[in-house]
Amino acid sequence: MGTPTWDELAELALRRITASGAEYGDVRIQHSVTEAIHGEDRRIASVSNIEDSGFGVRVLYHGAWGFAASSILSLEEVPRVADLAVEIAKGSASIATEKVRLAEEPVHRDRVVTPCRIDPFSIALEKKTDLLLNTMDALHRQAGIVRSSAGLWARRDRKLFLSTEGTHLEFDLLAGQGDCTATALHDGRFSSRSFNTPHLRTGYELIEEADFPREAPRVAGQAVEKVQAPAVEAGLYDLILDPEHLSLTMHESCGHPSELDRALGYEANYAGTSFLTTDKQGSFRFGSPHVTLVADNTEPQTLAATGYDDDGVACQQWDIVRDGIFVGYCTNREVAPQIGETRSRGSNRADGWGSVPIVRIANIGLAPGAATLDQLIGDVKRGIAIEGHGSYSIDQRRYNFQFGGDAFWLIENGRRTHMLRDVIYHGITPEFWNSCDGVADRSFRRRYGFITCGKGQPGQSGWMTHAASPARFRQVAVIRGEGRS
Amino acid sequence: MTGSSVKSWPKMTSREEFRFLADLVLTRSSGDHTMVKLHDLHSGTTRFANNQVVQNVDTRRGTLAVTVAFGRRHGTASTTDFTAGSVQETLKRAERIARVSPDDPEYLPPPRSQSFAACETARPETEIAGPARRLEYANEAIGQCRMENLLAAGIVSSSVTSVGIAANNGLFGCETRTDARFSLTVQAGEATGWNAAAHRSIDHLKIQERTLAAIQKAKRGREPSELPPGQYPVVLEPAAVAGLWTWLLWSLDAKSYQKGTSPFAGKLRERMVDKRLTLANAPGHADLFGVGFTADGLPSGPSTWIDHGVLTQLAYDRFTAQAQGVQVIPTLEAPVLSVHGAACGTVQDLVKRTDRAILVTNFWYIRSVNPTNLTLTGMTRDGTFLVDKGEIVCAVKNFRFHDSPLRAFQQIDAWTTPMEAVTAETGKMLAPAMVLPQFHFSSVTRF
Repeated sequence: MGTPTWDELAELALRRITASGAEYGDVRIQHSVTEAIHGEDRRIASVSNIEDSGFGVRVLYHGAWGFAASSILSLEEVPRVADLAVEIAKGSASIATEKVRLAEEPVHRDRVVTPCRIDPFSIALEKKTDLLLNTMDALHRQAGIVRSSAGLWARRDRKLFLSTEGTHLEFDLLAGQGDCTATALHDGRFSSRSFNTPHLRTGYELIEEADFPREAPRVAGQAVEKVQAPAVEAGLYDLILDPEHLSLTMHESCGHPSELDRALGYEANYAGTSFLTTDKQGSFRFGSPHVTLVADNTEPQTLAATGYDDDGVACQQWDIVRDGIFVGYCTNREVAPQIGETRSRGSNRADGWGSVPIVRIANIGLAPGAATLDQLIGDVKRGIAIEGHGSYSIDQRRYNFQFGGDAFWLIENGRRTHMLRDVIYHGITPEFWNSCDGVADRSFRRRYGFITCGKGQPGQSGWMTHAASPARFRQVAVIRGEGRS
Repeated sequence: MTGSSVKSWPKMTSREEFRFLADLVLTRSSGDHTMVKLHDLHSGTTRFANNQVVQNVDTRRGTLAVTVAFGRRHGTASTTDFTAGSVQETLKRAERIARVSPDDPEYLPPPRSQSFAACETARPETEIAGPARRLEYANEAIGQCRMENLLAAGIVSSSVTSVGIAANNGLFGCETRTDARFSLTVQAGEATGWNAAAHRSIDHLKIQERTLAAIQKAKRGREPSELPPGQYPVVLEPAAVAGLWTWLLWSLDAKSYQKGTSPFAGKLRERMVDKRLTLANAPGHADLFGVGFTADGLPSGPSTWIDHGVLTQLAYDRFTAQAQGVQVIPTLEAPVLSVHGAACGTVQDLVKRTDRAILVTNFWYIRSVNPTNLTLTGMTRDGTFLVDKGEIVCAVKNFRFHDSPLRAFQQIDAWTTPMEAVTAETGKMLAPAMVLPQFHFSSVTRF
């Protein structure tokens, strides 16, 4: 007998689930390859090629969940794991007082493939390591740079999803990213400046178009300028936040609170709950009328645009905040009916075959406005322009946040002047978004992705992309990140 | 649930099986140096929220990683498929990478054969604990909360891992490690109370005791007052101390120290914190997660890192250690923070002798603000109270802090003996509860 196909293994699991009397079950079989190249201080510190394969079986029995998974793909292991998932679900059901009811979803049969021009796994390793070494050399050519790093990352996921409802989905997905960082030392202080491509579902063209050799001297020069820059004076400033910076602000202060499982208490023990409680949907003023935040899991190249989620639900586009009013959640088939919605938004994702899918943030983006960047800055008397990611922290209901950034420039009388260091701003989420009085137009729109969004127990890493144009926020509290300011 | 699942559990990779897999690689490798690492994990978690089981999972994942070096060119490949063909293909992938990788000036061959001290890293009661035991514990916590008309959210987890390392120069180590965890957040309306445990033994989780403690915290947390931000004396429970100290431990990297990009740069053998504080590694301690060997194949052992407030040790990679002439690389997987002098017995004793302070159960979302002086930020969570004249007088709304442990722990006013401390964001350590005279809260949240 030859090696069984994935379809044969998945069908075997589904037959065990169906025979158990369970009302629903699904199987995900996945094979992932990750290539990670990491350079540090002008050397290639590690090159790894990680293959990870296995399958997970999810069962809903009498309204309660069970899940089992294994990296052993064999005709012996599949029934063992399927039976274990059933048995675990029966255990969950034995103490359940409320039954899970899944939102309806049409049966899908489809194949999803990431379009790409250049397969990142087809590029010679020497070309990639040369790029990183040359990039780090360029960073170190700047006087004052004491450390550097550079990295490339690529991933291919081949996945099969089958459910007892008849859905049959095949995936062949790619993602990639590259980055470099320079660290400067001055007067006992050190600080870093980074350049990175977004994580996107595309090929190696992402890296070639990024042009690291062009960016490295700028990054190194700004690292030195930053560490020598004056520390910010605490006070109220108007902020001009760039798209990369906003991706993190949106992620933490809008993305997470819009996860319905959090609002319903599922994450109370770890990631937390949400100030966007269900009674606020449709009426709560989250931000100013300039703020429209759109979830779009259909935009090509974005991380959450996988065609279908791990419930087998088709990816969709919907509003989270429309003209400042909170209107929609990220949901899955389990939680959507709990707020009276008849269909899941298709935002249920697992970080691999060994994890059970949970509600994840969608590709939430800030809708473009009508201004140019010059117009946004030109109307600022005393402000700070912030680029990139720095320190970040937010409370477990997503009210009180604090963010730093990667680079800061003082704005005076409508002009960007010199760099600042140690800029930290903080606030309360709805107050902050209500202070937004302008968003730049679509020509300034950029996308940034996350692959390390932590949530769930056991912990999982979520993937999503956030797009924005630069935006202006009035009179935000800024403190100095040096210590007790 | 029946016990039939126990019988059908997969057998973990044994020492002999790992030796067989390692030999399959080592005898076929064309590299100058070859290393094989095993990580074979069988884990399960029962997760509950709103007094319901919301997730109940069991996962078996075996990983074999092969690193090959030709001279100073090295590469690593890994697989989750342990069949002979896949293991050999993994070796070929590692060889292909190594052949075309550039020279790494910091590459060192694997350590030679080492003697690893026997360490009780596995407890049989955890190895055999399965979904039924986890569900029983979860139900116990849920049941107590239901009786109080409160909502429980938490996890019970258990795992067993076979960990191995082998190299073609004779290095070989293989051990089984177990891990059991319980954490619980009790919701009393808007108020929350929390408790958590992590141990090699699932028998040590103390579900009932910890559930009652979380319930008490939640009940006391109702109707919080709002205090202004500013400097406050604080009573930090062990988990809160561990949250701050974990960031300090993560910053001890020797290479950063040498390059001047460390908050400790130039301060080795200088006093960093209160002279009564000592930080040590105690891998043999029964309540900690000591290991026999590290991921580099080096033996773990007891060591002192901060001695009476003085920084005495750094965290070395092998290259930096060799460059600095460090013969024995210390490990810090089982930290114990202790205070010399007469200790109070319990957190309650600390409260009784405190005139006015903020009592912090735990911190959340701690992140670095300024790596030069290790300024951190984070939120208080799941039990923040005002202590006045030796008593907890009310709950207070959660604060954001903005301070450096290197400043905050310059002086401690009172403390307990070290206790088990574990948080959702950090590893486990033994740490005392402490009273600090000044701690900076920079803002307040809405609850």
